[in-house]
Amino acid sequence: MSSAPKTSQPTVDDLVSSGYQHGFVTSIESDTFPPGLNEDVIRLISARKNEPEWVLDWRLKAYRRWLTLEDPQWAQAKHPDIDFQAISYYSAPKKREGPKSLDEVDPELLHAYEKLGIPLEEQKALAGVAVDAVFDSISVATTFKEKLAEAGVIFCSMSEAIQKHPELVQKYLGSVVSYADNFYACLNAAVFTDGTFVYIPEGVRCPMELSTYFRINEAKTGQFERTLIIAEAGSYVSYLEGCTAPMRDENQLHAAVVELIAMDDAFIKYSTVQNWYPGNEQGKGGIYNFVTKRGACRGKRSHISWTQVETGSAITWKYPSCILQGDDSVGEFYSVAVTRGRQQADTGTKMLHIGRNTRSTIVSKGISAGYGQNTYRGLVRMSKRAEGGRNHTQCDSLLLGDKCAANTFPYIEVMNPDAEVEHEATTSKISEDQLFYCRQRGLSEEDAVSMIVNGFCKEVFNELPMEFAVEAQKLLNLTLEGAVG
Amino acid sequence: MISRQQRQQEQREWFMQVLDQDDLLIKDNTHWLRQYRKDARQAVNSLPLLNRKQEAWRYDHIEKLFENNFVQPDESTGGFTNVELYDNLLPPLTSYRLVFINGYYAVSLSNLEELHDGITVCSIGDAIHLMPEKLAYSFIYGHKLHKDKFSALNDAMFNDGVFINIDQGVHLDHPVEIVYLNTNHATSEDDRENLIQTRNIIFLHEGSSVQVIENFVSDQSENNKYFHSNVTEIYLDEGSKLEHYRFQDESRQAYHLSMLYVTQKKNSHYHSASLALGGAWARTEYKVNFEEEQSECDLYGLYAVGDEQLIDFHLDVQHRQPLCRSREQFKGILYGKGTAVFDGRILVDKHAQKSDAVLTNDNLLLVNDAEVNTKPQLEIYADDVKCSHGTTVGRLDKEHLFYLRSRGIAESEARKMLCQGFAEDIMMNIRNEELRLYMVDSLTRTLNAHNVSSGDNYGH
Repeated sequence: MSSAPKTSQPTVDDLVSSGYQHGFVTSIESDTFPPGLNEDVIRLISARKNEPEWVLDWRLKAYRRWLTLEDPQWAQAKHPDIDFQAISYYSAPKKREGPKSLDEVDPELLHAYEKLGIPLEEQKALAGVAVDAVFDSISVATTFKEKLAEAGVIFCSMSEAIQKHPELVQKYLGSVVSYADNFYACLNAAVFTDGTFVYIPEGVRCPMELSTYFRINEAKTGQFERTLIIAEAGSYVSYLEGCTAPMRDENQLHAAVVELIAMDDAFIKYSTVQNWYPGNEQGKGGIYNFVTKRGACRGKRSHISWTQVETGSAITWKYPSCILQGDDSVGEFYSVAVTRGRQQADTGTKMLHIGRNTRSTIVSKGISAGYGQNTYRGLVRMSKRAEGGRNHTQCDSLLLGDKCAANTFPYIEVMNPDAEVEHEATTSKISEDQLFYCRQRGLSEEDAVSMIVNGFCKEVFNELPMEFAVEAQKLLNLTLEGAVG
Repeated sequence: MISRQQRQQEQREWFMQVLDQDDLLIKDNTHWLRQYRKDARQAVNSLPLLNRKQEAWRYDHIEKLFENNFVQPDESTGGFTNVELYDNLLPPLTSYRLVFINGYYAVSLSNLEELHDGITVCSIGDAIHLMPEKLAYSFIYGHKLHKDKFSALNDAMFNDGVFINIDQGVHLDHPVEIVYLNTNHATSEDDRENLIQTRNIIFLHEGSSVQVIENFVSDQSENNKYFHSNVTEIYLDEGSKLEHYRFQDESRQAYHLSMLYVTQKKNSHYHSASLALGGAWARTEYKVNFEEEQSECDLYGLYAVGDEQLIDFHLDVQHRQPLCRSREQFKGILYGKGTAVFDGRILVDKHAQKSDAVLTNDNLLLVNDAEVNTKPQLEIYADDVKCSHGTTVGRLDKEHLFYLRSRGIAESEARKMLCQGFAEDIMMNIRNEELRLYMVDSLTRTLNAHNVSSGDNYGH
């Protein structure tokens, strides 16, 4: 990506390919380990974070298991082999004295957020959103903590939770996504550096929407986040996750794990807007986003809802899933995935119906443009016990251009006659009629396409919290700029 | 518990054991087909072993097959007479009929009289002697089927089959009916496990048309256990049309594997409907390849799965050229503690603009402990296409039952009617009245015999 100084006016092509708007590198001195992975590195991470013995044991168990596993090949995504020894597994912004308020936060960091259009100051006042900003691997600023504490909600970084609430972490960590679950989850368990911990006590409705902005900053640093959200009986929480990352040439690995646990009558709403660097037009660079997200509806009438808008990353490989254990529990998955340039997305969900009268809804909208590869891969399983189980799945794909691809691979396994499963999928392009209709009313072609695409995704956007929905729409328009025509 | 290594070893030995048996078709060492079979043999040895981690075998409990030592049977008609055959086992059809008993062509039971010019219908065994050039052409022109273990094994060892070659512009007046009768009465020892491998080639030249019926039947005795592997290659030249109906009612102990390879040229039309009732383990694979534009293919199938049965349909329809149209509709009725597997794949290549494909799979679960695994896939690399798929799994609709009961129809009768109605969508695509009635009848008989219509089988 070396760019010779340009004196001429930007060409139309430059404008069309519009580039990644959030690409910049913040230079903050970092405390970074040299690349490489072995038991010593894991011990060092654990020691650096001052973790209790059981965490280290768990990490080492995961690491030993990981050594026996092979890089999964089944996804509809192609990428060069990842050299796990070339990655640095720990990177923390150097601490001055622990910041107590925004004033004490490194001004360069704050500036970085401002460039992203999410100034913390504004966020604070705006819409009552508490931001636990994860800058690389260590949380540096946490806001609205006191207000949350009043309600009894614990919202902190994973490292803090391990120190302050070890009993909760020990009880639930790895109980949904075990350390041995899959290749990347295993790696994550061995080397996770930080993440978010949320605990909503019984009967509490979380007073505000919780949000974390992730950024990958330091070059060659894979980010291994671990998020754990526990909603006790009768509680409610809405969690927002948004991602942007600086422009970078090497592929960066991101292997996060998210675990959700909902007890009786609890409701967890988890929303994601993901806009990491997708690589350039030739497919060079970009983030590899290999994420394991899973929620367990443990309690009766519990409810977990995943909403995601995926526009970034060179490769997205994630399947936010629901284990519907409690009777009458509900799982939902709403997804918009956009691929353009050389992006590849292999995403979907698993709905595992175990309890009686469990219900799930899957709505997946895939949009492919350029050379983008978009795959929906999902599993719906009605176990023997899942009497009265219901599932409705809808997967729609929109193709913009003749070099992209849209695939649908649903797996449906039913072992109970009383369960009902429906799946429908369509693939099409924007019809000439639709375009013509908009054009004759004076809309430019690009506006028309953007309007039609937004309509196509509306079902999913409706599920997003308001501020996020606006952002998502903007992001979608931006992503599709120049991809149409 | 048998370990994975042991399973793999068992499978390796199973294939070796089969390959060690005599070549029943070609005795002549220098024959060209012998070389072809040698290649296939090599492919069997070099292809990877099957396991459930492979997508294609994810839901199939294939291990059981390899626990049996299948041996190729001796040639014998098993004392079957025309009367027995025609009265009990076959639909009342006017047809050109070829009967195979345990994979051997039974001339005395077949009827190929009055075939007019431009039409070749005979056994592969006869074709080797009578028209070696024509047959050789088909083999050389054809796919190398050595891409998966079972079709390679079939290539290496098939004992006979049917060769159909219809010249340009010829239309056949009656259907060609291929009957595979599998029985262990025909063999010397009663408890032998037969290995039957048949191979058909159907070649339709420009503008020709024909109806082909394949009928898999067996005597339903207690221990009629065998493995029937059947490969059919179909070539449809420009503007030709094949109607292909398949009826599978193998013994409840049998293993059945059908692999169909269809290659279509411009403007050709392949229309197929399948009814699968029998077998302990029965799998059918359709691989359709549109080699030129504007061709059409309709695949319809119905499966009824009872206790201890696994019935599997795998479809792979490849739209490689523009303006092709395909319809795939499969329905399943699960009336016993069995498993149904459906795996349908539609691939639209980047050149295949204006493709039109619809894939649906509906399953009706009538009892507890039945299992459906379904996987309808779309893989699309072109933008100007119309593709969709839909899947449902559910039980009989209570409201539908209520509607019928409120009109004075007994519960059992109502259930039967709903099942028949469910099947009707598929059955109406059998465009041969006599055969359709026979197939509907067979389905009804199967469902009745297993108490589908008697009361509530849900157990709660």
